[in-house]
Amino acid sequence: MTRHRISRAAALPILALGLVACDATPPPVGMVRGAELFETCAPCHGDAGLGDVDIAAPAIAGLPQWYIQSQLQGFQAGWRGKHADDLAGLRMRPMAVSLNREGDIESVAQYVASLEPTFPPSTLHGNAGAGAALYEQVCVACHGAAGRGDEILHAPPIVQLPDWYLLQELEDYRRGARGVNPADTWGITMRANTLVMTDQAMADVIAYVQTLR
Amino acid sequence: MTPELLSTYAADIDNIILLVAVLTGFWFVAAEGVFFWLIWRFRAKPGVKSEYLVGNERHVMKWITWSHGLVLICDVFIVIGAVQVWYNVKQRLPEADSTIRVIGQQWAWTFQHPGADNQLDTPDDIFTVDDLHVEVDRTYHFVLESRDVLHSFSVPVFRIKQDAIPGRAITGWFEATGTGEHDVQCAEICGIGHGVMAARIHIEDSGQHAAWISSASAAQ
Repeated sequence: MTRHRISRAAALPILALGLVACDATPPPVGMVRGAELFETCAPCHGDAGLGDVDIAAPAIAGLPQWYIQSQLQGFQAGWRGKHADDLAGLRMRPMAVSLNREGDIESVAQYVASLEPTFPPSTLHGNAGAGAALYEQVCVACHGAAGRGDEILHAPPIVQLPDWYLLQELEDYRRGARGVNPADTWGITMRANTLVMTDQAMADVIAYVQTLR
Repeated sequence: MTPELLSTYAADIDNIILLVAVLTGFWFVAAEGVFFWLIWRFRAKPGVKSEYLVGNERHVMKWITWSHGLVLICDVFIVIGAVQVWYNVKQRLPEADSTIRVIGQQWAWTFQHPGADNQLDTPDDIFTVDDLHVEVDRTYHFVLESRDVLHSFSVPVFRIKQDAIPGRAITGWFEATGTGEHDVQCAEICGIGHGVMAARIHIEDSGQHAAWISSASAAQ
């Protein structure tokens, strides 16, 4: 074989590799694509989606696909994570905006939903007994007696969420950093329920939620 | 293609960059030209023995000293131009028609605009995230802060770029010379979301800006 023939033979696979590299078609919607997209989430939420309290990134592993999709759509539309006082939300929003191809949100939500949830230990030490009454009075209607949520009411499961995150979000609702955008229909409902809650009531109800695991 | 020039000092900044590019470009081409000419001129020839040059002979030294002197003269022009631009953009603080606060954080820009009273830090202030509204032909002071790490407030059409440093409030200024909607970006690597830490600046005429203040105040 002459040198030219060898060069030509070598050029073909190189050209093929180049064409593959230039192919911008994403993998089909689903777990493979979701796993690929999750690499963007992992630096904050962790490889297993268990969160990181130091950067206010909550555990998201095992949250239902419909809820993850809904929140990512909210971040993109600006009804979540676009309030000047919602510091964690402001950090999350541009990451959600970067999911800009058709099927990205569905894929990553499916992947996150497939991750195994854990039940982080309590750190707030509220009074679960006192919290039970408030939970039965206010929260149970949407989040359910077992805290597993209700898709029809757009209420997510809350039992596997870390207590620091639950407190952060309740405080954000109460001070108007979340649930004030008119497009956030379900958030507005949630905010209304937090307006009368004291700091102690929040700690107590969170302590009760953690007994539902 | 560079973005439009929409601040009073944008053209000055472009001109100093052009001056630096032309002068350094000229000396780059000249130095490379002499270099390759010398390679060709003193290439190996049959029967000619190479000669060792110490480099301190007068006829050799002139290649260094003359060009060095000329480069220093060029440097003087660059320094004079750069100091003038630096003073105008960074040191001088013309009287403000209005003041805004710009707060960077991973990975968003929060803008605090004065409300109808045109006074910052009063109850009618308007807070927005990733949308800055200013009026054309007015001098603005901006008070730049960071909530977490280093950021850099960059408005390409203004040619302004100013670092935001946690714990410090840095004051700068700009005056827009044309209306429109343009990019605001972070120009300092600030974490995984740095590349998507984008915002928009809305430069409006007085009527549009008054209307925006009115509608934004009502929505607050």
